[in-house]
Amino acid sequence: MNILSTLLWTPAFGALLLAFISYKNIRLIRSIAYLSTIFAFLLSCKLLLDFDSSNVDLQFFEYQSLNPKMGSSYALGVDGLSLPMVVLATLLTCISLIASYTINERVKGYHICLLMLEFGMLGVFLAQDWAVFYIFWEVTLIPLFFLIDRWGGKRRHAASLNFVLYTMGGSIFMLISLIAAYEYVPEHVSLMQAMTAVSENMPKDEQVWVLLGFLIGFGVKMPIFPLHGWLPLAHVEAPSPVSILLSGVLLKMGAYGLIRAIVMLPAAAQTLQPLLIFLALFGMIYGGLLAWRQSDLKAMVAYSSVSHLGIVLLGIACLNQRGLTGAVLQMTAHGLIAGALFLLVGLLYERTHTRDIQDYSALIKVMPRFTFLTTIVLLAAMGLPGSVGFIAEFYALLGGFEKWGALMVFFSLSILISAAYSMRTIGLLFTGTTKPAMEKIADLNTHDTLAAGFLVLGIVFFGLLPASMIDLSLATITKMNDVIQLQIKPLT
Amino acid sequence: MKNLVVFIPLIPLLAASYIGVLHLFSVLDGEKSERITARMANYAIGLSCLLALALLGTDLFSQNNDVLIVGEWLNVNDLSIQLRFFTHGFSLKLAALFSILLFIVTRFAVNYMHREAGFHRFFFVLSLFSAAMLMLVLSANTVGTFIGWEIAGLCSYLLIGYMYDRQTATQNATRVFITNRIGDAGFVAGIGLGYLWLGNTNWLEMGELANPLSNQQAELCAFCFALAAFVKSAQLPFTPWLARAMEGPTPSSAIFYGSVMIHAGVYLLFLIQPLLAHAPLVSMLIAIVGLFTAIYATVVGLTQTDIKSSLIFATSGQLGLLFLECGLGFWELAIWHLCAHATVRAYQLLTAPSLLVNVANNPIKPVNAYLAKNTRFYTYALQRFWLEPLTDLIIVKPIQNLASDLNYFDRHILDNLMGSPAPAIRAISSLAQAKEQQIGAHLNNNENSFAQGSGFAGKITQWTADILDWFESRFILRGVSKDAIDYGKRLGRICQSCELMLLKPRYLALFVFITLLVAF
Repeated sequence: MNILSTLLWTPAFGALLLAFISYKNIRLIRSIAYLSTIFAFLLSCKLLLDFDSSNVDLQFFEYQSLNPKMGSSYALGVDGLSLPMVVLATLLTCISLIASYTINERVKGYHICLLMLEFGMLGVFLAQDWAVFYIFWEVTLIPLFFLIDRWGGKRRHAASLNFVLYTMGGSIFMLISLIAAYEYVPEHVSLMQAMTAVSENMPKDEQVWVLLGFLIGFGVKMPIFPLHGWLPLAHVEAPSPVSILLSGVLLKMGAYGLIRAIVMLPAAAQTLQPLLIFLALFGMIYGGLLAWRQSDLKAMVAYSSVSHLGIVLLGIACLNQRGLTGAVLQMTAHGLIAGALFLLVGLLYERTHTRDIQDYSALIKVMPRFTFLTTIVLLAAMGLPGSVGFIAEFYALLGGFEKWGALMVFFSLSILISAAYSMRTIGLLFTGTTKPAMEKIADLNTHDTLAAGFLVLGIVFFGLLPASMIDLSLATITKMNDVIQLQIKPLT
Repeated sequence: MKNLVVFIPLIPLLAASYIGVLHLFSVLDGEKSERITARMANYAIGLSCLLALALLGTDLFSQNNDVLIVGEWLNVNDLSIQLRFFTHGFSLKLAALFSILLFIVTRFAVNYMHREAGFHRFFFVLSLFSAAMLMLVLSANTVGTFIGWEIAGLCSYLLIGYMYDRQTATQNATRVFITNRIGDAGFVAGIGLGYLWLGNTNWLEMGELANPLSNQQAELCAFCFALAAFVKSAQLPFTPWLARAMEGPTPSSAIFYGSVMIHAGVYLLFLIQPLLAHAPLVSMLIAIVGLFTAIYATVVGLTQTDIKSSLIFATSGQLGLLFLECGLGFWELAIWHLCAHATVRAYQLLTAPSLLVNVANNPIKPVNAYLAKNTRFYTYALQRFWLEPLTDLIIVKPIQNLASDLNYFDRHILDNLMGSPAPAIRAISSLAQAKEQQIGAHLNNNENSFAQGSGFAGKITQWTADILDWFESRFILRGVSKDAIDYGKRLGRICQSCELMLLKPRYLALFVFITLLVAF
């Protein structure tokens, strides 16, 4: 069996195994879940080692025809765009499982859902066929619905319903766009590679409509400014391990899909460029200001995600090499940073049962380890040089500057706002006078520190030595950029 | 064999980090672990010393006339900074001498610092200083030397402020550090100019390449390095910092200002010797400054009454002579003078405390006859020629005034415009407020103090955020999510009632009837 299939089906197999185990045997359930996620993580690491970053083609390609009449096929493969996401997905699933020891009710169902979620996420990133991609896109929805609805906070029903309705609504637009594009594929297959030919055959105005459909479909997940209504509620109400995956990986699915769609329809993207850049910049400032207003820690992180994913959209909207690099880097960077933030906030919530930032004070005295890690992550979230956030923002900024110049002043403004709420959070959480309620909080224990420390290490490591991360995606980004430039050159 | 040169600065550095990290985590703390710390520091510098001596021995026999290139530290375009070390010549000899002195002082300090509160801190800084000093001496690259130069300066700051709870100590430490920054600026400018004009940052190649340099360029470049040397070796007009530096513990005074660090300036002159050959004006300047420093220090030294001060002015005087020798080109003499002076002065400063005990009842030697007669001159010397108040008047005061003006501008104009940071607004000004915050009640302010801005920019941010928040909650959260679901429910109910209506028998019959009618 090929490595990608093994990687993809490992979590599914783990979930299947769990189904036959008695719900009382909690230890066994947890260890099987651990084993299968760690195995998946190791496989993805092996993938990383075997990956040839100078090769622009798809690697480890697997092909199995599913429905010859429709042209759909079970095709898996990785390139420089999807590989970082695959590794991120397996890593963050491990981390969120480590953080899941606080879930003590309905453990079996929880772990089955989490493994199925990983299965869906990996499928989305590994699929090289739009039909399979769409199926996996929907597969992620179901476990996530249950995870929020069953193990969430007070308003979990509203949150999960909201989430599903939004995403379903979005995916309908995506499906229509996919079918519309499929009509123009000469060979009538739904392979991603074959679908890039669409832009040559399709009339221009139709391309724009198709891209708009994709924009809505992926924009809901990403989220892009007016379509983010599900996000604050879902992030706040989801149990913290799920929040890690939700913001660390699932949001990236939207960005990932959008990049693939834009490579397919570059000419339409050029037409929509003003809209995209407006949505990106507005979303960044909008998300930032709302994050600044939130006194709920989780809501603050959730809105900051809106702001940070705006950077990804901005990078994509640049339609040039640097912008795309920025977008791809920001996807990884935000995955690490938001994952770490939700993990830390979740761990804090477990100890104090309050998310209101104003209730906290002088935590540095009782939780030095927590303070140390959280401060680094918050600084990285505001894009401090030396952290991975800076590298990504810098590339996106360069790309944007190349294209629009002075308009990037709004980019700087949003970074300023993110600095405002990050610094305020650091100040309010860790400094100030001691409050009686905050005097007896246990610091992070060993495996919390290990989980958070691993992410923080990644944040700092890739911030100091970004070359390894950039080289991984460089060839693919160059190829995508060439495709885009080829299509938009005649028009300009 | 010559590869071992890397370890000479590295071993004390490792010892320093070992002591520092363990002390930070309170593993090494208090009297019990003094032995470990002392042993660590002693072994490290001892080992370095042995290595340096061994290298010196092989150098004397084999004359390995080159440098060791360890690797590249930085490479940007055509700027390449290499990590390279001297394995030959004066640098190695000086490294051997300094490491011996460092070892002796470290050993001496074990007993001297016993049961001091900052025992571990002292040895941490001392080991770090040893590493920095050996790096300074051995590095064959300007940047490497500068790194050692800076770390040594930092260590000097830390040890002058060793008793950081005493105000004079911290004030002196800061003053010394800032004075030294002038020299550092000169050093950096020298490196920059050297790279700009010679395209190189290695000492040896800089010397070789100096030939095509125009006179002014050579003068300017040499002057920058000479400025650094003046400050580090306490030449006029920077001499007063040396007297202030005596605040630290005696072993540190001995090693920093008596024998090792104070000679770094002279050593720098040795390094730029080829450059100085093209810069006669700067050589002259060095000679003149050295001469005046020697005279100044001798005169002032004659009026000093405490042992440390008189020793330190004597040091200053000898350094002035060294500069004079260098300026006039007597390099060989200067080398011997430097080594001899470093050794003797270290001995004198280390024995100063016990000397005081031994000579406790001896009669005090009267003031020099000429000075005693010339009371005005005596006063000048006693006041150290008002060198420090003069600097304060010319440099420090104007800068302070400028700063206070800028501060005024910042507070009254910029803060109103841009807003001040939140902690400044939330700062607690009374005990009642502190209590209030502690119990979490906000008695005086009813409005929510969260997400408030001050100043013009702050208010705009706040209002924008308010508007966006209203938009978000009204349209995005409630409008789309909740209201849409409500509308959906209502629509569903209407459909359901239609359905129920349609299923009633009379409508069903009507429906069937209409269908039949249409069909036929």
